[in-house]
Amino acid sequence: MSQSLRPYLSCVRSTLTAALSLSNFASQAAERHNVPEIEAASSPELLLNPLTVSRNAEERVLVEPSVNSVRVSIRIKQADEIEHILVHKFTRFLTQRAEAFFILRRKAVPGYDISFLITNLHTEEMLKHKLVDFIIEFMEEVDKEISEMKLFLNARARFVAESFLTPFD
Amino acid sequence: MLLLDYQNVLIESLLKDRFAPGATPTSIDQVVSDFDNVTFHISTPESKTKILVSLAIKCYPELAKYGAEEVLQREYGSLIVQPENGYDFSVQVDLEQLPSSDEEKTELIRKISLLKRNAMAAPFEQAFDEFASLQEQARQYTSESAPQGVREGGTVRAIHYREEEAIYIKASHDRVTVIFSTIFREETDRVYGKVFLQEFVDARKRGVQNAPQVLARDDPPLELQGIPGLKGGKGAEGGVTYVTFVLFPRHLTPQRRAEVISHIQTFRDYFHYHIKASKAYIHSRMRRRTADFLQVLRRARPEAEEKERKTASGRTFTVKS
Amino acid sequence: MADFNWRTLNIDALDPESAYNFDLTTLTPEVQPVSSSDVQTLSGQVRQILRGGNAEAALRGALENAPYGADEQGKAMHLSVVTEVLGQIRQAEMTPLLQRMYKDDGGSELCDTLMKYLYKGMGQGHPSSASGSKNLTPQATGFSQVGGRNFGGGEGGGQAMSVFLSWHEKLVEMVGPGSIVRVMSDRRTV
Repeated sequence: MSQSLRPYLSCVRSTLTAALSLSNFASQAAERHNVPEIEAASSPELLLNPLTVSRNAEERVLVEPSVNSVRVSIRIKQADEIEHILVHKFTRFLTQRAEAFFILRRKAVPGYDISFLITNLHTEEMLKHKLVDFIIEFMEEVDKEISEMKLFLNARARFVAESFLTPFD
Repeated sequence: MLLLDYQNVLIESLLKDRFAPGATPTSIDQVVSDFDNVTFHISTPESKTKILVSLAIKCYPELAKYGAEEVLQREYGSLIVQPENGYDFSVQVDLEQLPSSDEEKTELIRKISLLKRNAMAAPFEQAFDEFASLQEQARQYTSESAPQGVREGGTVRAIHYREEEAIYIKASHDRVTVIFSTIFREETDRVYGKVFLQEFVDARKRGVQNAPQVLARDDPPLELQGIPGLKGGKGAEGGVTYVTFVLFPRHLTPQRRAEVISHIQTFRDYFHYHIKASKAYIHSRMRRRTADFLQVLRRARPEAEEKERKTASGRTFTVKS
Repeated sequence: MADFNWRTLNIDALDPESAYNFDLTTLTPEVQPVSSSDVQTLSGQVRQILRGGNAEAALRGALENAPYGADEQGKAMHLSVVTEVLGQIRQAEMTPLLQRMYKDDGGSELCDTLMKYLYKGMGQGHPSSASGSKNLTPQATGFSQVGGRNFGGGEGGGQAMSVFLSWHEKLVEMVGPGSIVRVMSDRRTV
């Protein structure tokens, strides 16, 4: 693991652990409704101060806590055009399966590549520390996957080009 | 299958079946598609023994201008018949007048299945011939004193073989330049294409020193100056990329030219085929990775512990169906 | 009036009784308004202590007098001073320094304030509010943003961030996640 990755992930981990203290909270705005307050934003006193954890200008996590829900947005490193396309495709792939991922938000918060929305229902049903584990593992794996795919693409391109040109040789 | 075949496999296998000793002649009526919107029609209009193979190619008038008819005449000679309605060129084989030896039969099959390649080869052959004569002329001059025509090289032969894409061929006294214009439908294709082209450009620096030089750019190269109907250029939309192959004299020798022509024709399709294949691979990879992530998330769900419930007297509940 | 889309109107905002218009200041403890010039004076003092070689005292001074009542500009000014002080302290000195600070009276409060500055420091440069200063939308229909993106600046600010990250690590080790919760819930922002 790279030198600066470990403190970054551990910082995200402790931030998430702290933020995931959620309780059931019925909407104040509409009777018999129970909505994630961070999305509804109907009562300012229920929203807490958003926290940002950054590794550098290109990689950061935004944690927006509220009384009954937390929105976690991740910006994935994209060093060049290829990585950008790969990140875009990958996150699109995931968000299209948001239903299966329970905590995945269908749309990323502007400025970020992928967002999670964790509500009190999720923390009641699932183990909190495992949810945090999931997000941390996700962050690790995404970086790894993107760079592997990029390497693959380059290797394949090289092989293809050489195969085509060799018969001329 | 890394490299693409030059011949049309379907025609090849179809003819092989028919030519096999003991095969009973049957009636055929098949439309076969090939790369670059080329269509073949294989049929037996007169009798079951006479197989007619017709070719429809979008740029046939252009090819004819560059001498396609002579090339086809040379290749197919007596097989040529009046083109079928709606097609550009037809050959007919009579099963009753097949050559006797197996080699000759295989040769005939190969020839017919290379119909598209041969039709497309005409402008290349012309350019290669032109190169040879220019080279001959240039020999009489030093590079300064060469007359304009010799130094500049011949005219550009354009083949608009697809709706929006074309091949341009230009001969000079020391090289033949083949330029493909190609279009990327999607941004993803464009970026992948860039990666691939970069490797084509770099390949010469690495092991394949004798390969043609490859250049790729987004605006029309200088060779194409003054050609009408070119797209692209600075800030233009549409994603046209121009890929230039510079064939050196060593590629143009009479012994090698048939192979070189066949091979370079497949470039566009080969290139796009591998872009698509990479996309498919990466897609399947993402699918797998997504499944992995789901697995991790599932770990967060505590397993529903199904405790056996008992009554005070120790009897268990059973579900009655 | 015809082209006004009344469906998108947030009627809660018009109702003084609605929860939407909850007065947040009732939750915030009284803070003294601090003028920018006061912050500047304070910054000067902190820098002087720092130059004197006593980074610990400088840090304490800066944290004890966090200008909660200042405006955005004043807060940013103070943040840059705190960042400067934090950058001056070496890795090995972090933990002993924090321990001394934590044990003193009101130390836990200082640690919370420090935590606030760490998050604020990491959040600077890209406003954390969802409105976002970046004009790119990753979920836009196409890839129109490709050309407009600034690539290659990836490692920019990485140095400063790693300072914040290692402080954060040390601090959490000592005070636990409770401090982070207090940062989230404290309406007095730095």
